[in-house]
Order: sequence, then C-alpha cells, then structure tokens
Amino acid sequence: MAELTGVYAASHGPMIVRNWGKLTPAEQSGLDSAFSELGKRMRAARPDALIVISPDHWVNFFIDNLPAICVGVGEVHDGPPEPWLHDFPHRTLPGHPALAEHIVRHAHEHDFEPSVSYRLALDHGFCIPLWKAGLDPLPPIVPVVFNDLEPPYPSVKRCFDWGAMLAEAVASFPGKLRVAILATGGLSHSIGEPDMGRIDEAFDRDCIQRFERGDPRALIEFLNERLPGAGNGASEVRNWVAAHGAARARGFELIRYDPIPNVYVGCGFASWNVR
Amino acid sequence: MRDYWLSKLFFDLQNPALANEYRAGRGKVLDRYPLKAEVRAAVESDDVGTLSKLVNPYLLRFYFLMAGMPEDEFLRRIRSTGARAPARAAHG
Repeated sequence: MAELTGVYAASHGPMIVRNWGKLTPAEQSGLDSAFSELGKRMRAARPDALIVISPDHWVNFFIDNLPAICVGVGEVHDGPPEPWLHDFPHRTLPGHPALAEHIVRHAHEHDFEPSVSYRLALDHGFCIPLWKAGLDPLPPIVPVVFNDLEPPYPSVKRCFDWGAMLAEAVASFPGKLRVAILATGGLSHSIGEPDMGRIDEAFDRDCIQRFERGDPRALIEFLNERLPGAGNGASEVRNWVAAHGAARARGFELIRYDPIPNVYVGCGFASWNVR
Repeated sequence: MRDYWLSKLFFDLQNPALANEYRAGRGKVLDRYPLKAEVRAAVESDDVGTLSKLVNPYLLRFYFLMAGMPEDEFLRRIRSTGARAPARAAHG
C-alpha cells in the first residue's frame, strides 16, 4: 500500500521571482533559508509522487468554466506559461495518472466531486515552490487545483475534509508508493484590491498558532471569521487547511514566517510530522 | 458580479501575441469584444477604479501590468479607489 511520507506548505508569491533583485539581502536570505529547509525535508521524505495543491491563476480556467476543485490526471503537465518564469527548468512536468485516477475514484466514492483535467498548465503557484526548494529531478506530480481566486470558494471545512480524504486515498492506493503533499499559497496578501500590498501579520501569526494547536474546529472557526479580512490572496490558506486535514491535524511545524513587503505576501513555510 | 466580456478581454490578453497587438493599438482588439460603451470608455481611459468593480482583482492587476502602467502608479490608483475589497464580502 502507498504511504504518506510528508506534508508541506509554502508561499508562492510571484515577486519571489519577478522582484528577486529588488529584495533586501535579509529578505533574500530568509527566503533562501526557508526554501532550502523545505527542500531538505521534502527530499528526506523520498516521495515517489508528489500531490501539489495550488490555485489556478487564470491559466487553465476562466469564469465560463470554473471548477471548485480539479485533479490533474494526465501523464504530462505543461510548465508555467508566465513569461517571467522562462528560467524554470522544466517545460513539461511528469504526472502520475495511476495515483491521480485513484484519488478521483476514491473521491467520488466518498461524496467528493472533483473535476478532472488530462493536461494542466502548472503556473507559478505550483512551480515556484518546486523550483526554489531545489527538487531536481522532480517526482511525478498530481496537481490538485483549488479555486482560491474567484468566489464562490470551497468552504474552509470542505478543504479540511478534502485533505483528510486525500490521505485516505493515498493509504488505499494499491501499490508500493511513497507520497508527499505540498500545499502552496498564502499567507495574508492582497492583489489588485484597494489594500494591495497590505500584509496582515496579526492574522498570519494567529493563523500559524491555530495550525500549531491542531484543533481543526478552532482553525476552521478562526478562518471563517478572519480569512475574509486578510486580503484576497489569503484565500489560499485553504490549501494549507487541506494539508492540515491530510496530516490529521497533527504535527504542524513552522519552518519560517516573514512578512515581506517587497513580495506583498506574509511568506510562510511549514511541514507536518506525519510519523 | 463580473463583466463577462471585460473579463474575457483581460483573460485573453495573457496571450503574448494578442498583448503585443494590443499594446501597438488598442482599438482593433477592443473592436472584437462587445464591451458596453461605458466599459470600453473605462478601458480607454485607464480608469482603474471603475474597472476594479467589474473584474477579478488578479485579472485587473495583470491587465495594467501588461498594458504598461508602472506598478507604483497602479498601486496609487487602486488604493485611491477606497472601494470595499470584493473578498471582504465572501465568507471563508
């Protein structure tokens, strides 16, 4: 049977790449340190396949067809289309159709209804953390797109339940496979809104504390109340909640948190001890 | 509520070839989209405040970046709208 060997979360703000030259040495050093530790932990988990939960930033989907959650089941995914990510070393990324199809089947058998895509383009949300964490060669990827960008969003509770279901799907996969989960995005940030650039550090620290305490009900209640006030980009914390669900709400460890105005994002990095 | 054709225009402009054509002359590209007159006028006048009420904020930010508005200028304009951020109305 497959084994869940690691669960992780990382911010993916585009300015980490686009604005790198304008970051202060301390900001660069902090991000390098965080991604380096993330990569070290992910490599130690030796995943044969990596489930990556990220939003789609208007690359695959538009308002004429906007799934709440979509699983990439293809053999191959396209690399990031953003011109400023032309140095990303992979034009295509390998998929893991067997695991992806098993997840979709398991989901539907347990009252979840993801859509599927046989070929996704994986934008910066997927690729910046993979790149900066230094995962090379990349393990086969099962992308899971959460709609964190355009209301209506999946509820926070649904995201937690999704994560728990993902862990069950991995555990029931009929094959010897080491699987890790990486959730990307968050923490607080605001893009294209009147408060663009505002980082809600108080929210971020309270949020991290709720993850550390574990209690999913308290986390969900906190986010239902505070998420709408932490900037539209904070919606991506839903992906962290899914990771928390996959880890059965245990073992959260903050790798690093830095509110970085030049990135516009409260940059957070974490792992869950799933042993 | 989103304006579909304005959103479609901004979404389509992620295509580099279309973006180049648009930057070379907006009119021909805008003619292909059945924008309401007041929406087209807002596009032609770079009216960040009006457009911010009609499209997803990420697409709005992308559009002005693509169109060549300096980031500082976009920030100044979006911050001066004082509009209530759309995400505030959405519950977690």
